[in-house]
Amino acid sequence: MKGFKPSAPFLLLLPAIIVLAAVVVVPLILSLYSSFTPFRLTKPETFFVFVGFRNYVSILSNADFWWAFGRTVLLLTIALNLEMLLGLGLAMLVEKATRGQRLLRTLMMFPMMFSPILVGFQFKFMFNDNIGLVNNALQSLGITQDAIPWLIEGHLAFIAISIAEIWSSTAIFAILILAGLLAMPKEPIEAARVDGCTPWQTFRYVTWPFVMPFAYIAMTIRSLDVARAYDIVKIMTDGGPAGRTELLWTLVARTAYSDGRMGMANAMAYFSILLSIAFTVYFFNKLAAARTQIGAEW
Amino acid sequence: MDENSSARLKRSLLRITYRIGLFLAMLTICLPGLWIVLSSLRPTVEIMAKPPVWIPQQISFDAYVAMFSGIGKGGIPVIEYFRNSLIISVTSTVIAVAIGMAGGYAFARYRFRGKSGVFLGLMLTRTVPGIALSLPLFFLYVRLGIIDTHFGLILAYVALNVPFTIWLIDGFFRQVPKDLAEAAQIDGCTRWQAFWQVEFPLAGPGIASAAIFAFLTCWNEFALASQLTRSVSAKTLPVGLLDYTAEFTIDWRGMCALAVVMIIPALTLTYIVQKHLVGGLTSGAVKG
Repeated sequence: MKGFKPSAPFLLLLPAIIVLAAVVVVPLILSLYSSFTPFRLTKPETFFVFVGFRNYVSILSNADFWWAFGRTVLLLTIALNLEMLLGLGLAMLVEKATRGQRLLRTLMMFPMMFSPILVGFQFKFMFNDNIGLVNNALQSLGITQDAIPWLIEGHLAFIAISIAEIWSSTAIFAILILAGLLAMPKEPIEAARVDGCTPWQTFRYVTWPFVMPFAYIAMTIRSLDVARAYDIVKIMTDGGPAGRTELLWTLVARTAYSDGRMGMANAMAYFSILLSIAFTVYFFNKLAAARTQIGAEW
Repeated sequence: MDENSSARLKRSLLRITYRIGLFLAMLTICLPGLWIVLSSLRPTVEIMAKPPVWIPQQISFDAYVAMFSGIGKGGIPVIEYFRNSLIISVTSTVIAVAIGMAGGYAFARYRFRGKSGVFLGLMLTRTVPGIALSLPLFFLYVRLGIIDTHFGLILAYVALNVPFTIWLIDGFFRQVPKDLAEAAQIDGCTRWQAFWQVEFPLAGPGIASAAIFAFLTCWNEFALASQLTRSVSAKTLPVGLLDYTAEFTIDWRGMCALAVVMIIPALTLTYIVQKHLVGGLTSGAVKG
C-alpha cells in the first residue's frame, strides 16, 4: 500500500462504511446464505446443509405467503396514496391560515412524535370493541346499537390498521409539502390569476409542479421506513384474526421466532427487503428527476 | 348591489367551511393523544364503564405512582426500562452523529466519483426492514454473546441512524457557504481549524436537530429491540409496553400512563427541533 494516499472523502466516509458493513451488509450476506439452508434454531447443525432454492420454492408455492405479500402491497398502496392526498390537503389548510400558523404547524407534527408501537397501542385502545372510544362514540350518538368488532373481524381490522398507519404518517407529508408551499414565490400564482386561470388550473400547473419535489422527499423518507407498519400490526392484532391481517413482516417474525425456521424466514425476509428497496429506488429516482426539472444541483 | 351581497355571502360561507375543515383536521390529529392522557388519569372503573362515562368524575395520578413504585405494585419494571432506553439512545446518538458529521461533510464539500451511487447505497442500507435485519443479527449476537446487552443494541442503532444523519448533516453543511471556510483558510487556518471554528458553529443547530432525530429513532424503535433483548437488563420502553398486552387482562390505565411517559421526552425534543428538521430535509430541493 506504499504510495497510496486515500482521498479525503473516502477517509471521512470510512467510519460510516465500516459500521454499515459490519451491522448491515455482512449479516445480510449471512442471512442470504442461510436462506439456502434448512436452518432451524433448535438444530444448529442444519446451518451447514445446503438445499439450494428449496426454501424459495416452498415459499412461492405457499398461499399464506402470497396473501401476506399481497396484503402488504395493498396496505402500502392505500396508505401512501391517502397519506399523500391528506398531507397535501392539510398543508394547504394550514398554509391558508392567517393567524396562529406556528401553533397549527406544531399541532400538525404531533403524530410524528409517536413511535409506531405507541400508535398501535393507542388505536388498539380506541378501536377496542368493548371500551374503545370509537364504539362508545358511535353508540352514544345512536348510530349503532351493537359493538362493532373492529379488531376481531378481518376486513375491519385491516381498515383499523390502515387508519392507524395513515394517522401516524400523514404528518410527514404535510410538513414537507407545507415547507414547499411556504418556500414558493408568490408572483407566478398572481400572474396565473391575472391571466385568468381557475383556482384548479393555478394549482395544477403552477403550485403542484413546484411542490412536487417536496412530496417526493416525503415519499423517499417514508419508503425508507415502510416496515414500521410491523410495529403497529404487531401490537394491534398480531396478524390475527386467523392470519387475516398478517403482513410480510409479521409472517417473517412468526416463522423465525415462533416456529424457529430461520432458513425459511430469511428467504421470506429477502422478499421484504427487495420490496423496500424497490419502493426506495423508485421514489429516489423520481426525486432526482424532479430536482433536475427545477434546475437544482445534485 | 345584489351581486355584491351574494359574493359576500359566498365568501363568508367559504370561510366558515374552511374554519370547520381546519378544526376537524386538527381534532383528528390531537384527539387520540389527548384520549390517552385523559385515560391515564382516570380510575379503571371509569374506563371500563358501560354506558361510557364521558366527563371524568375524578382525576388521579395513581397509575403513575404505581408504575414508578417498583415491580411489586406496577407490574412491570418501568424504571429499569427507562434507564435502558436512555443509555442506549444517548450513546448510539452520540456515535451516529460523529460518524454522520464526517460523512455529511464529505458529501457536502467534496466531489468524487460515484457520489450519488454511494449516497443511494447508504440509504438502501436503511431500507432493510428492522425485522428482516433482526434475523441474522439475532443469530450473530447469540454467537458473539452480545444478545440482550446494551452494547448489542447500541451497535445496531448506530447503523440504523448513520444513513439518515448523513443525509441531514449533508444538507446543513450545504447551507453554509463554501467561501467562509476558504476565507478562514486564506487567513491562516488549517482545514481542520476552519471546520471547527467556522463551519461547525454555523451548521451547529442543524447538527443538533439531526442528533435529536437520531435519538427519537432509537427511543421509538421496536422491531429490532423486541428480538435482540430479552430481560430487564436491556429491554427498552417500547418493548416494555408489550409486557402489558401479553397478559390476559389488559391494564389499560397502566398502559396509557406508560405511553405518556414515553411520549413526553419525544414531544419536548421534537418541539425544539421542528424548524431545523424540515430545513435539513428539504435543503437542495429548491436550490443546490
